[in-house]
Amino acid sequence: MAPQPLDKVVEFILSPHIFAPLIYPGLLAAMLVLLTLIWAERKMTAKVQLRYGPLYVLKPLGGIIQLIADAIKFMFQEPILPRKADKWVFVLAPVTMMAFTIIPFAFIPAAPGFVGVDLEYSLPLVLSLSALVPPLILATSWAANNKFTLLGGVREAFMMVAYETSLFIAAFAIATYYGTLSLSKIVEAQTVPGIVLNPIAAAIFFVAMLMTASKLPYDIVEGEQEIVAGPFTEYSGILYMLVMGASYMELYVLSLVFVELFLGGWKPVIPALASIHPAFQGIALFIKAYLVLLFAVFLRSVYARYRLDQALEIGWKKLFPLSLISVVWSLILLVITGGA
Amino acid sequence: MAEDVYKPGNLLVSLKRHAAAIATGLRYLLSTKRMTVRYPEFVIDLGEGYRGMIRWHRDRCISCSLCAQICPAAAMKMYKLPGEKKMYPGINYQRCIFCGFCVDVCPVFALEHTPVHDISYEELDEMIYVPTKFDTEWVSPAAKEGARPVKVVFDEEVGLRHEPQ
Repeated sequence: MAPQPLDKVVEFILSPHIFAPLIYPGLLAAMLVLLTLIWAERKMTAKVQLRYGPLYVLKPLGGIIQLIADAIKFMFQEPILPRKADKWVFVLAPVTMMAFTIIPFAFIPAAPGFVGVDLEYSLPLVLSLSALVPPLILATSWAANNKFTLLGGVREAFMMVAYETSLFIAAFAIATYYGTLSLSKIVEAQTVPGIVLNPIAAAIFFVAMLMTASKLPYDIVEGEQEIVAGPFTEYSGILYMLVMGASYMELYVLSLVFVELFLGGWKPVIPALASIHPAFQGIALFIKAYLVLLFAVFLRSVYARYRLDQALEIGWKKLFPLSLISVVWSLILLVITGGA
Repeated sequence: MAEDVYKPGNLLVSLKRHAAAIATGLRYLLSTKRMTVRYPEFVIDLGEGYRGMIRWHRDRCISCSLCAQICPAAAMKMYKLPGEKKMYPGINYQRCIFCGFCVDVCPVFALEHTPVHDISYEELDEMIYVPTKFDTEWVSPAAKEGARPVKVVFDEEVGLRHEPQ
């Protein structure tokens, strides 16, 4: 005999406004992505470089739980606070950074009619929430009081203005065609994937996504061989895990948005999975987003890092004009086809 | 070649090159070539002339101290053993640079290089070998646990191949 309060609790957890941000596609799914994606990144890079990659933690499965071992190591490592650091900012910035990458999950629809908080303006909200992370990176770089973190922070400041504009304009270019800023309505309106309708906007969004998450070839901010770990030089232990995890989480959020804008979102819907939970009938969204993530981290083994000035040139001289062209392209498409 | 010169500004050409680069990456991703030696299971057979850990033979040593004099890193030192008039060499692996001068200078071949190189230490003090400790056979921990020796072969296709012996 199940007591009634317990049923209430289960119902509460399974309701969209808790389930979406905390379980799927939110925190729990994101943790799964984090653990497997970093392993896959290391494994793919190793394969391209004729190596094996992580292997000895659970050898029959090719070391897939390597990241769990790493996470345990980080948990029990001593987080060192530098004596000259601004301690409150130093500790709170990574935590806030992680929070800002988790909040968007409440507004990203995961299945038809399944979204934590359904808003008319979810696209700009999700993008602007993820745009709050770079200022926090600046805060960490200043708070750590170290020359490497400061150099990394300056690079982040330069990069931030170079990619954010193009990212927003590319997202709005495709939204212009659909005539709505709500992510769920954009997915519903998509009969032809957005990448076919506006490939320029898709390419810009993808490149800006790499820049946002500072993945190669744009990991200028962290630039391991140049400035140790950029703004994150002084972090250790669980705080380092947070700052490192935040960039992957940001990549995950933006790849979900990328799939919803350009790759048809949760279509095709699998109604059979709705019996487990209504959110799971949109599992195609997760699979597509994961493939996008795999491609994004695979680029690490293809490209070398760009210099800061080269990346800024790409940002301002290529991506920005192209994003304006993509808006014009969307408008032309809108006039010709009469909208979605 | 003129085709390889990078011309900035031409978007279509650079797009083509990006696609070629990604295709190359994917080709490597799907190939089964690997150059890694899976170390604890396999070890590279280093053969003659490898300058690994140094073995000292006490029965041959004449206590001339040439090894301690020539050592450029001051790793080799002469020790006085209790109850002995002669001094004998001991080595500190915190300092040793494996140059092999001591082995070369020894007039009676009391010092020799071994191919053992995969020793690890938990404490710095363990790296100091006094004469009593210095006069023992080196054993590679991987070989002790049954690692199979492999031979490195240069290969046109892969680069390096490792053939079991």
